[in-house]
Amino acid sequence: MIPAPFPPWARAEALGASMPEFASFQDEPPQMSSGTVGKTGFLRLGFERRSGKTILADLERRVPYMVQRALHCDEQMPGLAYVFLITTTGCLLQGDRLALDITLRPRAQAHLTSQSATKIHAMDANYAAQSQTIALADDAYLEFLPEPVIPHRHSRFISDTQISVAPSATLLLSEIIQPGRKHHHPDECFGSTVLSISTAAVRPDGRSLFAEKLVIEPRRYAMRQTGVMDSFDVLANVILCAPKDKADRIHERAGAAINLADGIAFGACRLPNDAGLIFKVLGRETAQVKAKVREFWSVVRQEIIGAALPPPYLWR
Amino acid sequence: MIIENDGVGGTSSTAFLSRMLQFGDSMFPIGAFAFSSGLESAIQEGVVTDAATLRAFARTALEQAARGDCIALITAHRAATAGDVDTLARIDAQVYARKLSDEARTMSVRMGKKFTEMGVEVVGAPLLRTWRECIEKSVTPGCYPIALAINFAVQDLPASQAFVVHQYGVATTILGAALRLMKVSHIETQKILYELNGQAAGAYEAAAAARLSDMAGFAPLTEILAAIHTRAHVRLFMS
Repeated sequence: MIPAPFPPWARAEALGASMPEFASFQDEPPQMSSGTVGKTGFLRLGFERRSGKTILADLERRVPYMVQRALHCDEQMPGLAYVFLITTTGCLLQGDRLALDITLRPRAQAHLTSQSATKIHAMDANYAAQSQTIALADDAYLEFLPEPVIPHRHSRFISDTQISVAPSATLLLSEIIQPGRKHHHPDECFGSTVLSISTAAVRPDGRSLFAEKLVIEPRRYAMRQTGVMDSFDVLANVILCAPKDKADRIHERAGAAINLADGIAFGACRLPNDAGLIFKVLGRETAQVKAKVREFWSVVRQEIIGAALPPPYLWR
Repeated sequence: MIIENDGVGGTSSTAFLSRMLQFGDSMFPIGAFAFSSGLESAIQEGVVTDAATLRAFARTALEQAARGDCIALITAHRAATAGDVDTLARIDAQVYARKLSDEARTMSVRMGKKFTEMGVEVVGAPLLRTWRECIEKSVTPGCYPIALAINFAVQDLPASQAFVVHQYGVATTILGAALRLMKVSHIETQKILYELNGQAAGAYEAAAAARLSDMAGFAPLTEILAAIHTRAHVRLFMS
């Protein structure tokens, strides 16, 4: 195969160079420099529906990113391709660049998750970057529910997700962000230097749906401030792209509440341009937040597919 | 003793000031009084309880505006000065795509439309008429920052003043609602306003240096409050 002039992971490389919040972190790590082999992970996953079952039809991978095979282990949705994203280094380090391209062809159904939480290690040079594209064709259905991200103190992380979703397709995309290892060290609660998380979605014809860019800079903006994190520690940001009638029913059932005593707050808002919903959860502990995300996921699956969730893993 | 005027263009700066006061006044009828920007829910849910939490809540709103809408405001001011309607529409679409709750969209679009209509009636510049037409024909959603930018640009009022007016509007909307919703005195709200206004200069520098794609924010609890408000049975305000 003739190598492409710009490999897909070059996108992740370009990301950090273009964002002002990363301007002061362009120095190279004294260890392996950014973007070298072993630091640029790439995954291309193409899902296709064949005779009632979704298979992983395309797979391209480059360390430290990898997947093994698609499992069909969900008894509630036997045709669903269940794939674990594996990072062989087990974490993100300074200078790491990851790129992930996911495609679901018409009527394909997949569930993507990670094996464990993603640690973003402390950094004294450069940053870690991740670039993701998700393309969903007609009637495709993707649950992308990775385990939480744990930004260690002084970590710098940039993530950019570009979504293309057909009007009849469904995408459930969750991101759970912990404040750090808060029980490990006092500096670890909102101790990261900068987390920049962008998500933008379009229709396959290029029509823009919505965009969100979260920039978390605890040293510039007080995290405990009223209206920001207040007394909460963990955030889940869940995006649901779904047809309007179904999204409305899910919105109706999702509920919204703040309970300061129990340390939990959640609520869903309708995205612009009838794109779907955005569901946010704040909690004091990760388990509370994961439970709320699971509740929302359960409503989504019921309304979209008419199926229940598999029982929760005991060890996750 | 002669007291010198600090500006060379004394006449024009006086004219600028009077225009800015008119269009930045909370009395200017664009319907801001109908919104509380989440404060109503914040009070009901016990998130805002006193002057200190009110100050912090308002500060969050101002910071979010400075990092988001105000970047679009300044970019749109440049486009409006150049008379570039296509770019204005592109900026408008970007602002709309970043309003991730119904209430935030309603507020921005309503105030944007009203501000444009008032601009046509009061100022009457051709660009404002064109923009009103774009809104009426649903060519563009017509968010508030773009309307404010066009209004100020056609009057040759600088972007920095439009920025101050925007920030002032965010603060007075919340503080005005606070006076009606919670136990807080006029003295306390004025002290908060005075303190928050003092941060405008630094915030303007940062927003003016940013590109449109740099619009960002982080206020998850405010967003959850918007989700709660949409579902609330008893509502005095529209957001």
